[in-house]
Amino acid sequence: MDKEYLIEKWLTDQLTEKELTAFEALEDYPKLTAIIDNARQFKASEFSSVSNFDTFQKRLKTDQKPVRKLSWIKPLLRIASVLVVGIAIYGIFLFNNTIKVQTMSGEKIEIELPDASKVMINAQSEVKYNKRQWEQKREINLVGEAFFTVAKGSKFDVVTAAGTVTVVGTKFNVKQRDSLFEVKCYEGIVNVSSKTLSKELRAGDNFRLSKGNVHFGQNTNEYPPWLKNMSSFQRVPFKEVIAELEIQYGIKIALEQVSSEILFTGGFIHNNLDNALKSVTQPLNLQYRMDGSDKVILYPSEK
Amino acid sequence: MPKELHKDICEQEIFSGIYNKYSQDLHNFLYYKYGEELNPNDKAQDAFVKLWENCKKIKLNMAKAFLYKVANNMMLNEIKHRKVVLRHQKITPRDYTHETPEFLMEKEQYFKKYQQALSRLSGEQRVAFMLNKVEGKKHKEIAEILGITRKVVEYRVYTAFSILKNELEGFKI
Repeated sequence: MDKEYLIEKWLTDQLTEKELTAFEALEDYPKLTAIIDNARQFKASEFSSVSNFDTFQKRLKTDQKPVRKLSWIKPLLRIASVLVVGIAIYGIFLFNNTIKVQTMSGEKIEIELPDASKVMINAQSEVKYNKRQWEQKREINLVGEAFFTVAKGSKFDVVTAAGTVTVVGTKFNVKQRDSLFEVKCYEGIVNVSSKTLSKELRAGDNFRLSKGNVHFGQNTNEYPPWLKNMSSFQRVPFKEVIAELEIQYGIKIALEQVSSEILFTGGFIHNNLDNALKSVTQPLNLQYRMDGSDKVILYPSEK
Repeated sequence: MPKELHKDICEQEIFSGIYNKYSQDLHNFLYYKYGEELNPNDKAQDAFVKLWENCKKIKLNMAKAFLYKVANNMMLNEIKHRKVVLRHQKITPRDYTHETPEFLMEKEQYFKKYQQALSRLSGEQRVAFMLNKVEGKKHKEIAEILGITRKVVEYRVYTAFSILKNELEGFKI
């Protein structure tokens, strides 16, 4: 017999004789009965109880003293409360509880949220959340890319323009840049929902939505490489590689006679521009030249 | 006693009867659902004060429902998502020789975890579970008190139990 079925019937005192025997034979039986027995240790009457009627009557008498003479107080209180509300609203704007963190090109920041969850923010990204409401509602807005380590608790939402990622205690990476929305789950379970779909990802799964095309795959690493100051790509359109390079180094890249849609597999490090440019151009047989200190032009090598 | 139904409850004797009949259970309901920090004793009595103020309008057979509704609303007005932590009795070593310090430590840890698990339940799950399993109230009675169906009570007790079971998974009792 199904264990959960037996538990259900046991909890409602409806076990038949046969079912009772089966229930008592369960391996978990001692644990299950222990839970109920030990609940008694929390019995209310050990810690708190209601006063008796006599005590209550005394309270009744003190509560019943009417203050009917002060009828001018009510209108005065009404005026006062309007003032208080006005000041409170002004105060809300003054003491705004929204926290906003923004990263520049080549910058990475790690922040800790009020519940000890951690967010590592990649370059040129922004997160926003309300610190006062955090205990009730864990909702954080993201533009760009960040890696989340979420503390166990109520559900945690990452809201981007392209979709929302909902989790409960896990590790995952969210990337939303231009028309790309990508979520990689590294631990736990993550639920991704966009305008067109909703999907559950488990540890090791990832999801890409790029210009209406959806692709599900498996992570190749145990952590997103950018946390270790590297970027790595698996058959992605070259323009994504270029975009990431621009973000990490704060440069502008122009392509001369090079297709931005060509698929690229490879990577680059974040702390040496020359090295990075070589890593990006060599696999595609390209060359680069600098145009000023922050512009780079890529062009095909002569054959 | 058909005569009593026509009387209003504003009479001392009748009112004290109502108080003695329902106050303890009402208090326990508030205690399990909202914990002791919000003073369930006070709130229970406040509910009776309200009942007294409205004694002319409320019939004897509606008193119980009125009390629970008022008390619950009073609590809701005051709290906003506070965490409820119920106390458990302290573990005292007994004379049995097999209760080594390690065993007592494990027991203490078990109850700490149990307490945490109880806090994780929603107020509704916790109160249904405790009223049923600790106070011995039948599902039907709990359903009446809470103004829900019996099936919902069964579901809440079952869910509460499942959560407790999962949270206490690692312990060998």
